[in-house]
Amino acid sequence: MELTEELKTKMIEVLNLEEMTPADIDENAPLFGDEGLGLDSIDVLELIVLLERNYGIKIADPKQGKEIFASVRTMADYVAANRTK
Amino acid sequence: METMVTHRVKLTPECLEVDGQRVAEAVAGESFLMQLYRKYGMGYPKFFKMDVLCRVGFIASELLLAAEGGERFVPRADRAVILFNRNTSLHADRSFQATIADAEDFYPSPSVFVYTLPNIVTGEIAIRNKYHGESEFILLPEKSETAMNQAVERALMDKETTSVLAGWVEALSEEEYEAEMELVSS
Repeated sequence: MELTEELKTKMIEVLNLEEMTPADIDENAPLFGDEGLGLDSIDVLELIVLLERNYGIKIADPKQGKEIFASVRTMADYVAANRTK
Repeated sequence: METMVTHRVKLTPECLEVDGQRVAEAVAGESFLMQLYRKYGMGYPKFFKMDVLCRVGFIASELLLAAEGGERFVPRADRAVILFNRNTSLHADRSFQATIADAEDFYPSPSVFVYTLPNIVTGEIAIRNKYHGESEFILLPEKSETAMNQAVERALMDKETTSVLAGWVEALSEEEYEAEMELVSS
């Protein structure tokens, strides 16, 4: 499975986006704010856990979060470049 | 103090009663809470993130307020939200414990953790409905009409509160829960 699709599937599971399918999530759309998925601060923490648990990535600098979690595409790019598992 | 109950809801895993009338019964398939959410078109995606205690409180409050009628989501400070139970947020507590029980798989879940306090139920209801009045979740050693009435009457004694969304909301699992919620006016 392509990494973006894999991330969408895992996000739907851990964020309980039960009314959504991977096809509903535009990989370039913002994850936060009214225009995107409308995720909140708790969701960010859950995404950080997702990256650590599934890809062995620890985000040490919280400032990085804004760029990493801008969209599914930016998440996938970060995972591809930094994954340890 | 003279108080008046204007509407009431009773919700169990088997059925839903509004103002004493049985209006829905669980059918085979997904959980009754999910069936009610879909049947009444509540359209609140945050519902899917809630733990079972919060879902029970949310569904009961939505149906209670639908019975009341009138315009929803108008900010008001004269309505309090006061709920009660005996087992606090035990189901969420156990779910969170499960995320930290294995040292080899130690990933505390933030989204589960936020529900490890029962007063998030009163908060969710207040936020949803733009209530800015008193908000309390009171733990009782057992279900006591006397204790609950005293808390409601106490709230109605202040200068601002004229109405209380009150009731017993208990949830031990998706299969074991109970809500008895009512609107009380002074």
